[in-house]
Amino acid sequence: MFLINCPYCGEREQVEFNCGGEAHIVRPKNPPDLSDDQWADYLFMRKNIKGVQFERWNHSNGCRRWFNVVRNTATDEILKIYNMGETAPNINGDDPKTPSGEPNIGSGNISSTFEKK
Amino acid sequence: MNLLRENTIKSLKNNKIENHLGIKIQEICFINKINLRINPENLEYMKACSKILNTILPTKPNTFVKNGNLKIIWLSPDEWLITNDIDNDNLFAKLRNEVGDLEASVTDISENRTIVRISGEKIYKLLSKFLVLDLEKNLPTKSTCAQTLFVKVPILLLRNHSDNQLPEVDLFLIKSHANYVYNLIVDGTENLDF
Repeated sequence: MFLINCPYCGEREQVEFNCGGEAHIVRPKNPPDLSDDQWADYLFMRKNIKGVQFERWNHSNGCRRWFNVVRNTATDEILKIYNMGETAPNINGDDPKTPSGEPNIGSGNISSTFEKK
Repeated sequence: MNLLRENTIKSLKNNKIENHLGIKIQEICFINKINLRINPENLEYMKACSKILNTILPTKPNTFVKNGNLKIIWLSPDEWLITNDIDNDNLFAKLRNEVGDLEASVTDISENRTIVRISGEKIYKLLSKFLVLDLEKNLPTKSTCAQTLFVKVPILLLRNHSDNQLPEVDLFLIKSHANYVYNLIVDGTENLDF
């Protein structure tokens, strides 16, 4: 549970909101020209980053408005909230802080973090 | 067969006011409600609506304005809920004629929700048992409102009182949730001395 600062209603609990998945996915201009793989990529493939992610959220039990959120999925820290239609802010997603200092790409992976050590 | 309109909460028939350990509960039924959606940037429509309603549409989030027996409640930047105790001038038809089916929508939602009015010194304590909302922050003054969740069901809260009056809050509930919320409130009136 965390607080989200709705652009209209102010700070509210997360239970009032729904996450609408990744933001800034643009519908291809010429769908008939795409291959099945490209179309499936547009429809289904979403990033699932442990770290800074750009998401769409809806204040479903409040003003029912959509807006964009930049959230660190490891710590639920909200870095920025901006309106629909705005361009993505330039927020550096490198090395997000994790609660107990574990590597940010998952402890099961052999990562550059381990190799450095 | 009885075809008369009935209120939703059975034990609160005939505008009965129940008193549960200092918390008064009353159902306010048969209030006309109109849902109005227009683009707030379209000043022509905004003016037309204000003229019919005799007051401006509130554009400040989570507030409502009261004009006689009319209340206009902010729901979202382009959506308002208009409640009207006595519909003697056929407000719905007037609004519909004026802005009706253009870039606006006027919908009669009278039967969608019912209103439960609770009053008493400790209603904020009572509500805080069920809400995740920060009541001090979200209902700070008279004529403020907030939409949130009451345990699991969506609810609209209206603050009717100013700071020196006895607290009184209207809960707008979807009719099928009304008994659930009422039972919880009655249960919650116990143990309010924390």
